[in-house]
Amino acid sequence: MIGTGLRFGYGTNGFANHRLEDALTIIAELGYEGVALTLDHHHLDPFAADLPARVARVAKRLAELRLGVVIETGARYLLNPRHKHAPTLLDDDSDARLDFLKRAIDIAADLNAEAMSFWAGVRPPHVSPDEAWQRLVRGCAQVAAHADNAGVPLGFEPEPGMLVENFEQWDRLRGEVGETLRLTLDIGHCRANELEEVAECVRRAGPHLVNVQIDDMRRGVHEHLEFGAGEIDFPPVLHSLAQTGYTGLVAVELPRHSHAAPDVAARSLNFLRVSQWLGEARAAGEGNLATELAAAGRKVGRANAEMARIRLLQSFQLSPQQVSDLYRYGDNEEKRAILRACPVPDLLRDALRSNDSRLVAAALGPAAAQLTDAEWRQAVLKAVFMGLQLAQVHGLNERADAELGRMLDGLRKEREAAGRIMPADAISLLERLR
Amino acid sequence: MRIFDPHIHMTSRTTDDYERMAAAGVRALVEPAFWLGQPRTSVGSFTDYFDSLVGWEPFRASQYGIRHHCTIALNPKEANDPRCRDVLPLLPRYLAKDRVVAVGEIGYDSMTPDEDDAFAAQLELARAHELPALVHTPHRDKLLGTQRSLDVIKESGIEPGRVVLDHLNEITVDAVAGSGCWMGFSIYPDTKMSPDRMVAILGRYGLDRMLVNSAADWGKSDPLLTVRTAEAMVAAGFSDDEVDRVLWRNPVEFYGQSGRLDLEDAAPEPIFEGNSILRGGS
Repeated sequence: MIGTGLRFGYGTNGFANHRLEDALTIIAELGYEGVALTLDHHHLDPFAADLPARVARVAKRLAELRLGVVIETGARYLLNPRHKHAPTLLDDDSDARLDFLKRAIDIAADLNAEAMSFWAGVRPPHVSPDEAWQRLVRGCAQVAAHADNAGVPLGFEPEPGMLVENFEQWDRLRGEVGETLRLTLDIGHCRANELEEVAECVRRAGPHLVNVQIDDMRRGVHEHLEFGAGEIDFPPVLHSLAQTGYTGLVAVELPRHSHAAPDVAARSLNFLRVSQWLGEARAAGEGNLATELAAAGRKVGRANAEMARIRLLQSFQLSPQQVSDLYRYGDNEEKRAILRACPVPDLLRDALRSNDSRLVAAALGPAAAQLTDAEWRQAVLKAVFMGLQLAQVHGLNERADAELGRMLDGLRKEREAAGRIMPADAISLLERLR
Repeated sequence: MRIFDPHIHMTSRTTDDYERMAAAGVRALVEPAFWLGQPRTSVGSFTDYFDSLVGWEPFRASQYGIRHHCTIALNPKEANDPRCRDVLPLLPRYLAKDRVVAVGEIGYDSMTPDEDDAFAAQLELARAHELPALVHTPHRDKLLGTQRSLDVIKESGIEPGRVVLDHLNEITVDAVAGSGCWMGFSIYPDTKMSPDRMVAILGRYGLDRMLVNSAADWGKSDPLLTVRTAEAMVAAGFSDDEVDRVLWRNPVEFYGQSGRLDLEDAAPEPIFEGNSILRGGS
């Protein structure tokens, strides 16, 4: 659908209840272009005796499904079954972490991964901040040397609550470790943790990115939320990301949504496609609105087009003249979106004169409050006549009156005379109004 | 049997036609913008017609499970009327629509200078909007009109594979066959082509770049002559797969070049000799 632009992926840690092979298949079927593969005891266990054979199988499957891949190393209980994430590079004995990260780099190389990603860890209480920083720099230097040898791009992820939790600290670390240390950016973290607007964070991070994770979040709360459940306005963020020239994966990071993974993943991709299109269409400005509205179906898919058009229309302060012009030259899909997003009374009347039941239904939404009672009754009667379900009529029970009842009774008699019956929902409305 | 009619004027047809077409296997069609019989006298009459092609008519077709697409243009006959030519600047608004799969019908009626200008300008619109072009060949002086159309197409720089010349017959097919353009044939009850003549042309020229349509409109015509042609092909020994190619995959391939054909769930892939064959197109 979208020919150019960002490449969306999905994190396998959001499919924790699926076999890896099944997760990969579903992610590809939904239309994602890649996966962020979190190595874990059940997902390509890096300590398995037959690791090379397993890696070869996954590589083959990724190629068959045409999925790109980045390697993530945030598994919770892979190295220590009792303590989450332990040990980290900051612990007294960090050998297990170093060994794991090097294995992850080797696996990334074998899978031809686009990046391998890791983080600092939380500073243990008994380790001083200075000592923790020294440990981190030493550990990162070893990891960087290994990645350099293997030719794997290295992404370091600032993580809320860890020793490196924002862009500024990452920048300082890079100064000490060297240019091999690139950046993994979690877009949700920008909202939770950084002071700037998310789109601005993305713009600043752009030149350093090798890996991007995406999710919604609220200010000050490190909780990965499904899109729409947090506070981020994604269209400008995705536009900003595309403008940086970043070509790597943008992978959905929802590790606590595994219980409903296939549905969440499907919804997420729709949301991202619509948001990306909205970002571009808003940036193109009002002057291009007519063209963008017309093309929405082939950009975001038929099923998402109406919602996308409504959101685009709501992004601008349009004059009644502009709305009327868009409606005049809109096809019926565009007209529906205009009726919902900018319901000018005269346009509602135009739609109600049409014989397209989808336009009539759109005109009987909340904006129908602007119609006179006589117009509204005629519209409801027309809806019944056309076989529309009355559940689509907004506020029906509050506004329906005895006069509408009289009109419905007339229609019922006509239908009976012709040997036909009225739809059940109209009959029950009529009975209520008597 | 699944049929894609690549040229039919449903605005002029009744719901009985839609019903019969659906029952006979027509699952998708393209309705080109053309003359309505009664001459137009204003631009508003064009835009109302275009609105119908992207609005009301697809809605009507959908009641019968038929996918409706259209082409948009100022037709050659009315390109001669100064009251109609002002529609040209409005065409880009319509060419942006999801269901518009080509610029058409363009071409020649009487081969006047005004027709030259409108033809060239609209081929340029096709290029700018990355759409194929549907070229009507004239009723009178057809061979010269066809040759001259090919010259204009060549001069425009549009890729020949993105152009169809329509209403061809035994006299005009030769010139188009060697041009790389697609060849359209309108099957009519008496005039233009008949199913049997069409089958003879397919036997002689092969199935590449061939489109068969009913061009049914407000005149004497029959929307089921696509189906009758398919039956005549079978009777003449063509296989079911070859029929599917001419009457479904070819139009899908041609109009699919717009990137805008919407045939989801329109027609399941037929199983051919026990195997599902990958079909070309959108």
